[in-house]
Amino acid sequence: MSDNSKSKTGPPIVGVSKNIVRVRELIEHVAQTGLNTVVFGESGVGKEVVAQNLYQKSPRVGKPFIKINCAALPEGLLESELFGYERGAFTGAEQRKKGKFQLAHSGVLLLDEIGDMSLSLQAKLLHVLQSGGEFSPLGSEKEVKADTWVIAATNHDLKKEIKEGKFREDLYYRLNIIKIHLSPLRERPEDIPPLIDFYIKEYTAMLNNRHIETPGAKVIDRMCTYSWPGNVRELQNVLKRMLVLGDCNQIVDEIFNSERMVSRDSGPDDELNHNASLAKIIDLGGRNSPDNQSFSLKTAKKNAVEMVEREIISHVLAKTDWNRSKASKILKISYKTLLYKISDLKIVPPEK
Amino acid sequence: MKKPFRLLIIDDAEEILTALTNFFTQKKYDVVSAANGLDGLKHIESKDADFDLIITDLVLPNISGVAIISIVKKKFPDTPVIAITGWGEHPESLAKEAHADHVLEKPFKLPELEQLVKKLLNR
Repeated sequence: MSDNSKSKTGPPIVGVSKNIVRVRELIEHVAQTGLNTVVFGESGVGKEVVAQNLYQKSPRVGKPFIKINCAALPEGLLESELFGYERGAFTGAEQRKKGKFQLAHSGVLLLDEIGDMSLSLQAKLLHVLQSGGEFSPLGSEKEVKADTWVIAATNHDLKKEIKEGKFREDLYYRLNIIKIHLSPLRERPEDIPPLIDFYIKEYTAMLNNRHIETPGAKVIDRMCTYSWPGNVRELQNVLKRMLVLGDCNQIVDEIFNSERMVSRDSGPDDELNHNASLAKIIDLGGRNSPDNQSFSLKTAKKNAVEMVEREIISHVLAKTDWNRSKASKILKISYKTLLYKISDLKIVPPEK
Repeated sequence: MKKPFRLLIIDDAEEILTALTNFFTQKKYDVVSAANGLDGLKHIESKDADFDLIITDLVLPNISGVAIISIVKKKFPDTPVIAITGWGEHPESLAKEAHADHVLEKPFKLPELEQLVKKLLNR
């Protein structure tokens, strides 16, 4: 949960895109100021790396760098983690405990996933920031003062959350004195080759520089066209797999396959349901489930056939403007059969 | 001839930035403009900066106007800063905390702003 990276130098911000060049430039200019900062960006894009870089270029380097994930803890626990408590503040509070705010005194407190913080805790955080770092631990009468540089990170659209009443506008402006936006990897494919290069060097060193297969130019080209929904973190995982397992081509095939599966699952629900799997169309989980008393291959088949017939006949009727004789010719069934099917399958003409 | 006053104007709304720049240039000020906080800060930090006055919008991409005010007031406590802000925006109180010399709410008239600039420059 917390990370006391006093001596450890964090990873650099790798990339050549406009976004990354700008982010590096911004860090150079603001790291000295200690002004409240929010880092925006999708999961896995490297928000923590930005926070570490800010810390390392600031006069606070060498002092504590404390991180807390606001989404990982229930509200009450998050509050006591942040502000600490006195002995006996609540059942089980046997020892006095310092909060992260205090632990990060003279250093940096990274509030990860700030968008997930509850409104009541947002109010408390706002109060601390307004008072210049003053707060009282749970069960304590005394105010504590901490000189802490607050850096927040989020993958949420906080502006939208303000409109929805999920995030306090005053806290937003109070935190957002400096705003650093990291673009998703798919919007900056030019960063992929330098990132691959950087991580391969790092991982091969970790693997004791044994002779390992690294992705060739063709594989890298393909990797540049992938959408990387998990951003840099996903790229890191794929590279680790490649270096450990070899067979880069197959791994690239796999990531593209999984991408197709995902887009299929989230595809739009259009009339013909092109994107649903056959099991879904046949409704094996519902009406035609083998668990049903009435289930038999015969009835399931009949239901499925009816569904397919209804879909096809409706489609042709719609195309012919409900000209039944034209439709029967296209379907290659008699006019009489078509009329029978329309009533049997309960196909109704569109309202005029 | 007397050296003209040097102004830095920062606003991310292009039409406002252009209007302010043109207005003060016509009034014989030496105007430098920036469309976001980082570019503004670079001007402030450059060696030949020596601005007589800074006008900044409060809500800006990357480095906010509030940050600009804090940084300027730390480095050049004597340089006056005017913050301009949209109606009912929270940062107004933040701007005052950061010791902006004046917070001007939009909409405002250009002569009104010029009066303010003159007043602060003659202080």
